[in-house]
Amino acid sequence: MTVHNIRHGDAFDGGADAVGGRLSRVDGPAKITGAAKYAVEQQLKGLTYAALVESTIASGKVRAIDSKAAEAAPGVLKVLTPDTIISLRSASDWFGTPPPDKPYCPLARDITFSGQHVAAVVAETFEQAVAAAALVKVSYDETPAIVDLSDGKAGDGIPVDAMTKEWGDASAAFASAPVRICAAYNTPREYQAPMEPHGLIARWEGDHLTVWEPSQWLDGMARTYAEWFAVPFENVRLVSPYVGGGFGSKALALSHGAIAASAAKMLGRPVRLVMTRPQTFTSYGGRAATRQTVTIGADRDGMIQSIVHRGVNETSIDGMWVEPLGSVTSIMYATPNFSSKQNVVRVNSVVPGAMRAPGENPSAFGIESAIDELAYEVGIDPLEIRLKNYAEQDPHAKKAWSTRQLREAFAAGAERFGWARRTAEPRSMRDGNQLIGWGVAAGTYPVRRAYGEAMVRILADGSVEVESSSIDMGQGTYTILAQTAAETVGVSADDVVVKLGDSRFPRAGVTGGSRLAGVMTGAVHKAATSALDQLIGLAISDPRSPFHTLQANTLVVANGRIGSPRGDGPDVSIAELLKSIGRDRIEATGDTMPANSTAEDRYKNYTTIAMALPHTEGDYSRHSWCAHFVEVRVDEDFGTVRVSRVVSALDSGRLYNPKLAESQWKGGIIMGIGQALLEEGIVDRRHGRIVNNNLADYLVPTNADVPEIEVISVGIPDLHSSVLGGKGVGELAIVGMAPAIANAVFHATGKRIRDLPITLEKLI
Amino acid sequence: MTSKTTIPVHLDINGQRHTLELEPRVTLLDALRDRLGLTGTKKGCDHGQCGACTVHVDGERVLACLTLAAQAAGRTITTIEGLAREGELHPVQAAFLEQDAFQCGYCTPGQIMSAVACIREGHAGSDEEIREYMAGNLCRCGAYPHIVAAVRQAALEAAS
Repeated sequence: MTVHNIRHGDAFDGGADAVGGRLSRVDGPAKITGAAKYAVEQQLKGLTYAALVESTIASGKVRAIDSKAAEAAPGVLKVLTPDTIISLRSASDWFGTPPPDKPYCPLARDITFSGQHVAAVVAETFEQAVAAAALVKVSYDETPAIVDLSDGKAGDGIPVDAMTKEWGDASAAFASAPVRICAAYNTPREYQAPMEPHGLIARWEGDHLTVWEPSQWLDGMARTYAEWFAVPFENVRLVSPYVGGGFGSKALALSHGAIAASAAKMLGRPVRLVMTRPQTFTSYGGRAATRQTVTIGADRDGMIQSIVHRGVNETSIDGMWVEPLGSVTSIMYATPNFSSKQNVVRVNSVVPGAMRAPGENPSAFGIESAIDELAYEVGIDPLEIRLKNYAEQDPHAKKAWSTRQLREAFAAGAERFGWARRTAEPRSMRDGNQLIGWGVAAGTYPVRRAYGEAMVRILADGSVEVESSSIDMGQGTYTILAQTAAETVGVSADDVVVKLGDSRFPRAGVTGGSRLAGVMTGAVHKAATSALDQLIGLAISDPRSPFHTLQANTLVVANGRIGSPRGDGPDVSIAELLKSIGRDRIEATGDTMPANSTAEDRYKNYTTIAMALPHTEGDYSRHSWCAHFVEVRVDEDFGTVRVSRVVSALDSGRLYNPKLAESQWKGGIIMGIGQALLEEGIVDRRHGRIVNNNLADYLVPTNADVPEIEVISVGIPDLHSSVLGGKGVGELAIVGMAPAIANAVFHATGKRIRDLPITLEKLI
Repeated sequence: MTSKTTIPVHLDINGQRHTLELEPRVTLLDALRDRLGLTGTKKGCDHGQCGACTVHVDGERVLACLTLAAQAAGRTITTIEGLAREGELHPVQAAFLEQDAFQCGYCTPGQIMSAVACIREGHAGSDEEIREYMAGNLCRCGAYPHIVAAVRQAALEAAS
């Protein structure tokens, strides 16, 4: 058996190949040479091209669709409208809730938001489809729309009782507190904007459907397609070898997928449908706009006595999205009295969706801004007030933290940043015309756990194959699973081939909530251990094995060679051993499901999120933690804000590959810079449309917006969180970045900006 | 497909000549991806806003989504597939791998084509200059600091 020496953070001495090593991306060569074929880049015979027609009103009904001109246009094969598209069945949601027994039409007659799909054109070429789609004439009966949260018609919304968290008597404690802070914090609509637009190729062969589609969840999406088209789950194959970014947006089958697959069925030819960039702003939801009120009652020495938090997020007219706004508020600081409640408000928008750290991200903007306000109110350093109110256990769940290296993160970050040199007064640091501000904020993200499955094969040539229907959208799945298999079996990572992104492989749950690495390294470790045990078992017991006469209890495998742990006896390669015992492969499937799991449990585990394990299950509360230290420079005359320096210290437990984890952390920090300073979906109040629905007007950070960023790992292995000791990486680092920047802007200017993004007109 | 609305377009791509029958409205990007299967050049926005489709035309960086295929006829086109020579990675490609200058990989071919030109233009003299001259290539994964490191490394190698 292989024994894992669990190591501290990224301190590592086992070479780049093993878990914890800084191995470069194994999928890198394909990506830097252009050889990596993303889902919709498959070249298929007889491929046709679809283009979408979208609603130009936000509320009302489609009166009529005139498709005559489009049908007569060159190359057009079909115009799909609500009247001509085939009928589908409703599908269950991601909890697996049985769907209503009624048909589903992905083309809308009843319009609830601008940009809703109302028709689609399929043609022989992309250019013909796009040109013909412009000829489809849609007339509407328009009704007044609720354009956003601030619309007078929006109202107070619907209480979400499941979001209520209360202990003590928060109102009374606030009323009697000597120091009281009360402020409202707003975040706008934000968009994931992955560089690869959503799209798919759908192909039917009889009643078997193949879908090449960028996906964060092949098995969940396959289930939806199967239910829509009333075919067995096994008949649907999802293929997604590389994913050009997701950030939460590519986890679910969406209506454009139903349209393309319907068109392929109707035409008997494969159909490609790729969204235009503007369509990516309305075909699925970005982060919901939010409003929060945070009140803190404290002693004069800054000890928190009470937090009262009220939140609101927008959702769509007929869909439900809850952005859990009290998630960080309820755990970051110790308080004897607490109350958090949340409403959702229906507006005429596409249903919002998951975007990097849904809930934790806006939640942290509220509480991490508010505690900064408290620090200035009582005259205590913003770092010191955080340590003063440090939560020694989960204040909400009343359980011990599995690991919480947040104090270490504050210390390491402050030291590296030079926080001790900060002068307390706002506007007290400057460089010529630039006001300099230093800000700090913390972030956290829960450890979402689930069961996983993988196949590990040792082949005749001594190489190892790993198969899983999980995916790599840039987090490094290919690489860390190669490292896990290499270390567990005892071969070089060069000798491991990882195959992902095909629903024919052993199943996998959703890649979201920063859970995949923990789930899949555990599953691969288990499968690889089982394959190794088989290999060693055969080497000891098979009469043809050179080890048969050695009478050993066990053998070790290292660098692709098998030998006795004492170093006596034969020393042969895996390939030589397999040849001697007449085997062309050893194969093992491993999963981390409970032993008595049924086939139904497994299906539920991989195609819904209903079996995810709560992060507070058992005795511990499990979270990743981070502390961001930010310097901004604000032009005193023009109000322009530049982030000039970032030092972040992060606790993601044990890192499976620090090189890749650091990249993901920096990516989260950079998306946080965008959120703080640039990103905002702007609604045209007359038509309820997103007007900046493109990458020139919806501003995401460019290279020129980003300074040097230093990240420090302060994590220790957390075996309550995952088999190999890691916690979540991907979402953590965006949490707390926006308040760290807002806090730095306050320190620079004396102006507290509570509405994101922090644009110059708010500062001058 | 062939009809009266198409024209023959001769394209010189990565040292190979191709003749395509294209409608004049076909962009260089769609000709590369959909007609020739050269999918290394990516479509991120189709509006010249993201840089994912950056290729070289006569040695200069060009957005293939804003270039009609017919405009590139008779010129020398280099795409990401043509950058490595005889199986040897271009120094910029090698630097991107070493510095982990990408995550999802979708903007990467455009970043690399931009970086090669950025160095050749003499715009890689400092980190600040690299940031400015690489600002036309968006990366939503946020690999920017590592892209700067990769361009710096490749520029130093080119100068030595």
